[in-house]
Amino acid sequence: MSTIRRSMSRRSAVQVIAAGAASIALPALAQTRPVRVGYAMARTGPWTGGAQVSQEPNYLLWAEQQNAAGGLSVKGSKRPIELVSFDDRSEVETCVRTYEKLMGSDKVDLVLAPWGSNANFAVAPLANRCGYPFLAPTALSKKLIEMKLPYFFLMLQQPAPMTGALVDMLKANGAKTLAVIYVDDLFGLENYSALKVALQGSGLSLVEEKSYPGGIKDLSPVLRSIKDKNPDAFVGFTYPPDTILASKQAKEVGFNPRFFYASVGTAFQLYKNVMTPAGAEGVLGMGSWNAKTSPGAKAYFDAHTKKFGGKEPDRWASGHCWAALEILTAAVAKHGLDRKAIRDYVANTEHSTIVGKIKFSGSENISTPGTVAQWQKGEFEVVWPKNVATAPLIANKPAWV
Amino acid sequence: MSLGAWLELLASGLITGGIYALVALGLNLQYGLMRILNIAHGEFLMLGAYFTWMMQTAFGVSPLWMLPASFALLMMLGLAVHWLCFRRLAASSPNLDVFEARGLMVSFGLLFLVQNFISFLWGGELRGYDFMAEPLKLGGAQFAANKLLVFALALLFSAALIVLLRTTLLGKGVRALMQSPVGAQLVGIDTKRLHPLMFGVGLGLSGVAGCLLSMAYTISPAMGEPYTVTALIVITLGGFGSMSGALAGGLLLGVVEALGMHFTNPSLKALLSYAVFIAVLLARPNGLFAK
Repeated sequence: MSTIRRSMSRRSAVQVIAAGAASIALPALAQTRPVRVGYAMARTGPWTGGAQVSQEPNYLLWAEQQNAAGGLSVKGSKRPIELVSFDDRSEVETCVRTYEKLMGSDKVDLVLAPWGSNANFAVAPLANRCGYPFLAPTALSKKLIEMKLPYFFLMLQQPAPMTGALVDMLKANGAKTLAVIYVDDLFGLENYSALKVALQGSGLSLVEEKSYPGGIKDLSPVLRSIKDKNPDAFVGFTYPPDTILASKQAKEVGFNPRFFYASVGTAFQLYKNVMTPAGAEGVLGMGSWNAKTSPGAKAYFDAHTKKFGGKEPDRWASGHCWAALEILTAAVAKHGLDRKAIRDYVANTEHSTIVGKIKFSGSENISTPGTVAQWQKGEFEVVWPKNVATAPLIANKPAWV
Repeated sequence: MSLGAWLELLASGLITGGIYALVALGLNLQYGLMRILNIAHGEFLMLGAYFTWMMQTAFGVSPLWMLPASFALLMMLGLAVHWLCFRRLAASSPNLDVFEARGLMVSFGLLFLVQNFISFLWGGELRGYDFMAEPLKLGGAQFAANKLLVFALALLFSAALIVLLRTTLLGKGVRALMQSPVGAQLVGIDTKRLHPLMFGVGLGLSGVAGCLLSMAYTISPAMGEPYTVTALIVITLGGFGSMSGALAGGLLLGVVEALGMHFTNPSLKALLSYAVFIAVLLARPNGLFAK
């Protein structure tokens, strides 16, 4: 009996001390406890080329900048950011499982989006179910918008405005015929169908349309048959390796239409490295900003280039990715880590970002207009529409060199 | 279609086919001779491509100089890999079938190891450089200079390997080993030296293929796998162990793909390749050139 009592009293003494210690330590802990931000990103496999240019570098830069400034402002108190990240190996299943773990069992404070339309398509419903606000910088899909997920926001301009701007530009500059190739996945198919809608009543006619599988090694047979039809414009809804393949092979077969447009990857620094700045001259593509767009864009461009040893952000999705992080930072500063409040803030506010004002209607960014950009003297200039252009359009592409 | 257009179309198929053949030859050497089904073959090709890219962009070394350098480097690596993995495997496996199964496992391991090593060093982004990309006019047709070079060199290396195996004593030894490993040992052929050497040559060829590919295409750590798959199709088409079969199989596949893409749709490319594959297997189950 006495032993029990003694041990009891000893235990309660320990409890008292522990409780006392905790009451002193807790406020200090709460201030320095990191904000855990989770994401999955392709570091291996076929998505890597896009993911490691347009997305992950921005997450790293953001965490570094915030931490250098004392941490992420959470309703007034500064807390360090801890990134919890995994390689999704360019697999949709791995990506979904990783987010299940991050949101379900790890219960991270916030999540950031993975790369690409396919991965976002798979993860968005899950994030929505778990109530995590999800700002996707690299997803293009009308279907994603039609799913009406309240927690899901798309930063990029969608296929309809992008192809709309392209068709407007072609029409305004006297193009009559065009040929299109597209990668046979969600991205390619949706852009292709949006283009067909945009072409209706535009007076432009489609002289050739061909799909191709991702990872293709030779597009020259297709480009040759397109060359024979001599269209005014070539449009490719392509991924980075195919964007470069199509450009190189167009040069090879001597196909030099007045307008040469390709998609993901034209906005990359890689494009001018591989094609040389002179070789890239006049090539059109999906791009929406560059360092001239705003002082914020310039600061971001310089910080990115400095941190990653000369590696430039791409002139399309990178800027929108940074804008997503700007919006998230502002939301957390205002509403802390209350995810419902963050969602409402994102959904109902007009945000000022480096790529301009952004406002959402449902999941869609309705403020950023569809744009077309063009390589001119080593810079990817926004050339259409004219009110956001950073340089005038060169309406006749010079010969490949 | 004009004659020039036909010429361009056929040539573009042959160029792609030449690369297929070169990759397949190296794999064939390993599988035909040693029953090592090296799934990581494409990864070593990627290594050759990265090595060339690095030397070109960092030090301005011409990719042409990197051809022998890649061959030598990958051959050394092949000798090391053989010594570290397959030599032990051969010693510890009770028979050839077990060796083949274990070798497959080991090469899967190598695949992840090599791919992740490169990702670790340079990240997973696409890379590339500009080399001899200007078009050349030949007759009524027009080609990129680098593609023609790639094709010529792929043929040259393939031909050199075939001639080496046909005409030299070393080649005779290798062919004897392919036909009957036990018989070859009985007549005094030194398998302990020939196996590592040929594994090294196989990897050296993949290094050359990688070097050539980097001149004309963008490269990434994941670039190798599709080539391994194509090489497997090509060596099955041509017949296991048949070098001229691999060359013909590679060229055939390239031309079929090019014609198919032109007349139908590139999305059907895989369907076309597999249709050819199945047709050949139905008609000649041991491959086109099996004796």
